[in-house]
Amino acid sequence: MKRRALLHSVAVIGASSLIAPDQTDASADESVPTDETDWAGSTAITDTNVHLFHWPCRRLPLDETARLVAKLQSLGVESAWAGSFEGLLHRDIKGVNQRLFDACSQHALLEPMGTINPRADGWQRDLKRCRNDFKMRGIRVYPNYHQFQLADDCFVSLLRAAAKMRLLVQIAVALEDVRTQHPLLQVPDVDLTALPEVASSIPDAQIQLLNHRLSSSQLKRFQSVKNIRFDTARVDQTDGVATLTKAVGSDRVLFGSHSPFLIPEAALIRVAEANLSEPDLVAVLSKNASRFAEARV
Amino acid sequence: MPPNTMSLGLPTASELKGYRIWDAYFTPSFSHPGRDGGDLIMADIQRSLPTIALGQFEKLHYFAHVGLGTTTDPAFETLVRQQPQTVLKPLETWPDLLIGSIQLNPHDPVASSDALRRWLRDGPMRGVYFAGGGPAAMTCTDPRFHRLVEQISELGGVIMQHTWLKTGGKQGPGESTPAELAQLAAAHPHQKFICAHAGGQWEEGIRAIADHPNVLIETSGFDATAGFIEMAVRDLGASRIIFGSHLPSRSLGTELSKVIAAEISEEDKRSILSANFRRLLNVA
Repeated sequence: MKRRALLHSVAVIGASSLIAPDQTDASADESVPTDETDWAGSTAITDTNVHLFHWPCRRLPLDETARLVAKLQSLGVESAWAGSFEGLLHRDIKGVNQRLFDACSQHALLEPMGTINPRADGWQRDLKRCRNDFKMRGIRVYPNYHQFQLADDCFVSLLRAAAKMRLLVQIAVALEDVRTQHPLLQVPDVDLTALPEVASSIPDAQIQLLNHRLSSSQLKRFQSVKNIRFDTARVDQTDGVATLTKAVGSDRVLFGSHSPFLIPEAALIRVAEANLSEPDLVAVLSKNASRFAEARV
Repeated sequence: MPPNTMSLGLPTASELKGYRIWDAYFTPSFSHPGRDGGDLIMADIQRSLPTIALGQFEKLHYFAHVGLGTTTDPAFETLVRQQPQTVLKPLETWPDLLIGSIQLNPHDPVASSDALRRWLRDGPMRGVYFAGGGPAAMTCTDPRFHRLVEQISELGGVIMQHTWLKTGGKQGPGESTPAELAQLAAAHPHQKFICAHAGGQWEEGIRAIADHPNVLIETSGFDATAGFIEMAVRDLGASRIIFGSHLPSRSLGTELSKVIAAEISEEDKRSILSANFRRLLNVA
């Protein structure tokens, strides 16, 4: 039943791109989703990029966990990998991860991704706790909030340790457009220059970039680095997701929304715009995340 | 929106059609229409058509370069001045879908004034766009704006002013902020101004124009940051908000979700997506 509903929506959305130019007017609606198309609760979307708790500079409509979960469920999301906004600035990472774990324990939809700051003394204990006590599938790092580079020894050590523990490593490339940040909290996007080499040197490491906006030249550098995957949260332009899947392969793109900071519908609609083939759409929305996560268990 | 009508985040086709979406900020090949006068813009419109169909847009409003030195390509500028009909190719190709405005160059007020007569008074263009970057960019507090604004007002034109308020300051000398647009608007209280992108940093942008009822904000050009439309409706009222898509360099997802997913009434969504812009253009 789930698969049938998914494929129906794939068909009607995909067909919308086949409309001839001279048909693109108010009457050209027969090939886009119909009132009978019912996705909610009938798909298995995995959102690999959400955060819990409060963004430091603004209250967000969905920053209460129960509201976020309800919204994601209404959009057909059955699993959401959640980091903690507290992880950006708090120094008590043990407490950050405990609260994240506790909150996620209240909602079957949420999968916690603990924060690790490899520049903080004792990060190895935090990592073990994520794996052994909280049974997490992965961790999330914020290089430019925690002030380390991807070539730094501390990050390479973390990557090796995470690979040994079979933990996924999500790298938050950005949290907010640099142009709109609070003047006292200016955090540039993470410099990814060193990542292809670092990732290639640790082939067992499994990495996902979150909130990236990669140029075509950057994408080329990542094409052959197969242990790096990508989310969709800030991939813009009307054909941005399609371009990304072509560049790196549809098996390496995982749906992510960066909600509640961004509106979750934004990333979903962008996937619809991409006019992906049926197998690619299923892969991006759910299958790739399942493979990525299950490989870690 | 009841959740069971959603499909990959989109309302149904009939719901989208019911909004009668008029896009005030369509940006195909925005900085250069193409060396032959239009090949790039035509290709970018074609590229956008599937998304336009998916979103059930009724009209899209774009900004034509008409040979006023608004591009960095002298050959293009010369071509368009010699063959002004080139400008009309998108409108002639998609007459039921597109409406146009012209990009003005306040550095050349004489030619801009002539262009207003040529393209607004005599048609078919509906308004003007003042850029925030490129060779025509000029901060809108410059005194040269006033005469042009008066002429646009006389012709009943719409004014779209690019605005951004960037952390770290302006990236170019010709950029305008919402506060600067508010200054210009205060001098012309009977003319409506559209504050494109709400300044990007929309919390400050909304506050900057709040006391100027002749300034409306346009919704595109920045990430789909949650809470934007809710704050704008609360502080400005829905009647002062106009939807823009920024297609194809932005996405339907980024831009349409700001409105359709906002926690506001359906009536407010219809105003933002369509009625407010149509009212500015004096069309039903």
